[in-house]
Amino acid sequence: MENVNDLKPSDIGRAGGQVTKLDKVMDLPAPYDKPGMEPDFKEVKPAWQEKYCTTLDGFVGVDTLQRPKTKEEEDEFVRKFLSGLEKIFTDANNGALQPLSLTFDYCAKCNTCSEACHIYEASGHNELYRPIFRSEVLRKIYKKYFTKSGKLLGGFVGADIDVNWETIARLGELAYRCNLCRRCAQTCPLGLDNSIIAKEIRKIFSQELEIAPTPLHNKGTVLQLKTGSSTGINKAAFLDNIEFMEEDIEEQTGLKIKVPVDKKGADILLIHNAGEFVSWPENPAAFAILFERAGLNWTLSSSLVGYDSVNYGIWYDDTQAKKIVQAQQRAALELGVRRIVIGECGHAHKAAAVVGDRMVYGEDKVPVESFLPILWDAVQKGAFKFDPSRNDFPVTLHDPCNLVRGMGVVEPQRNILKIIAPKFREMTPHGVYNYCCGGGSGFAIMNSLNFLDFRNKVSSRMKFKQILDAFADTVADPSIVKYVCAPCSNCKGAIRDMFEYYEATAKFNIHYGGLVDLMVNALADLPRPFLTFDE
Amino acid sequence: MAEIVVGDRHIPLDEDGFLEDASMWDEEVANFLAKTEEVELTEEHWEIIKYLRKYFDDFNVAPPVRRMVKDVHRDLQTIYALFPSGPGKGACKIAGLPKPTGCV
Repeated sequence: MENVNDLKPSDIGRAGGQVTKLDKVMDLPAPYDKPGMEPDFKEVKPAWQEKYCTTLDGFVGVDTLQRPKTKEEEDEFVRKFLSGLEKIFTDANNGALQPLSLTFDYCAKCNTCSEACHIYEASGHNELYRPIFRSEVLRKIYKKYFTKSGKLLGGFVGADIDVNWETIARLGELAYRCNLCRRCAQTCPLGLDNSIIAKEIRKIFSQELEIAPTPLHNKGTVLQLKTGSSTGINKAAFLDNIEFMEEDIEEQTGLKIKVPVDKKGADILLIHNAGEFVSWPENPAAFAILFERAGLNWTLSSSLVGYDSVNYGIWYDDTQAKKIVQAQQRAALELGVRRIVIGECGHAHKAAAVVGDRMVYGEDKVPVESFLPILWDAVQKGAFKFDPSRNDFPVTLHDPCNLVRGMGVVEPQRNILKIIAPKFREMTPHGVYNYCCGGGSGFAIMNSLNFLDFRNKVSSRMKFKQILDAFADTVADPSIVKYVCAPCSNCKGAIRDMFEYYEATAKFNIHYGGLVDLMVNALADLPRPFLTFDE
Repeated sequence: MAEIVVGDRHIPLDEDGFLEDASMWDEEVANFLAKTEEVELTEEHWEIIKYLRKYFDDFNVAPPVRRMVKDVHRDLQTIYALFPSGPGKGACKIAGLPKPTGCV
């Protein structure tokens, strides 16, 4: 294993063991600046080495990427990958061809993007995690097989890479060391986007090799198309959940609310990430309370996929993504609603409103909007009477990348927090310059083998640092509740795991939750607080 | 893939120790899974396990935790005291329910 600073993209094709190993990660601020405040990386198990690709950095993100048993299997794997690589540069790849080609051809390797990347920073500046590192590997492979100069001159023109199962598998793993947060693209002087390359590699693996992390595909998209939700919640379970939610709202708040389901001709079809019903039921409950108070004409849908906004396909497979977009659109058309509104889920915003626009369009497309401007509008119209003293604890805001950097929805959530949370403070940096929670692009649910270690210690590390910095005045005092407002299910999952890993709730009383939950907590006429911090 | 051997049956488990196939569950399997969780099953445990099985039979999915807490009339601390790995990784696992999926 070489010194991390000497690592070159061609080393991905090197024979032998692990390409690099993480040892010195970025320092955390107080009270995590002392030794023993976080668990160490765990050693890679020999059984994993035999079965999976552990030879990149020792982590396994892709549990379905397993070692071939025969030479034929290995050759087939390489052949299919190369064929897929050729395909992504053809007209058929019309969703990404232009930005992909520009990024592929014009990168000046100035490395401005490296310092923008939270994973590179958190890794202690390990070369492997520079945003352009995997792009360079892909360029070398492409050059070697698909350019005249590369075929003839090889290493003299940058086609110096050995290509075999190990090379491609390492590249497949490396495509899952990027959160697709696009902070690198934001800083690139040429406007190039290395996250597109990471995503296209994932796409080749899924569409050509049928390899994608189980939580994203088999237990994600496939389950969603079969049962209606990636959580496995079917229609009957969904309806039962709603009934339970109504009872729960009444018990918690005394409010009698009939949650509208399948209401034909409503203005708004609200779609939640169905994970909320399982893990954070107070969130859809808070939506119901606020939407009713705001007098909105809204409904939920009980149709297949109509009650689950997630679309994991946008992270790994265009075909799967399109199926989900179509199913959600179908649910909206069935009800004859004027618009779909996405609840607190970042990637669902991007999938339904941005990516979806290229998959379903014209008269068939029901417009998709974010919940945030609608809520801010209701606040401005005086729909809610708030008593901010109910939120009299330090609050900071996490900006979900897809919603904020990706779609420019920046101000409504801040405007609302400034009204309902007297001790609100921003993270540094924030807004469109935020850092990812570390759970982006599927990481939040990829819990196989030792991948959780990579997430908690590396990809979530910068966000944890930002949270500690934002609460620097009170973090050491466990008697003071601190609240990270994260209006995104995926981010909440990553932040929950982060707080468990670093024992941040247990030791320092740092909590997390959504925006609507915090709004309802501030409603002046509720008999008792909506939020409880007794976990 | 790991597996457990209960009597003469080989029962596959996923990497986190959940049953791959919920239909292979019975009380003997529950007892076996409880041992891997270092839980001695009492009447109180069985009451919760039976509730989870019933919910799973009705809806083919595990109940949300908040729902479970209410339906079994016990707070979360009591559930953790009974199943130290918690409602999902402990109670649901012993009850043979599949591992939670999606953004949960």
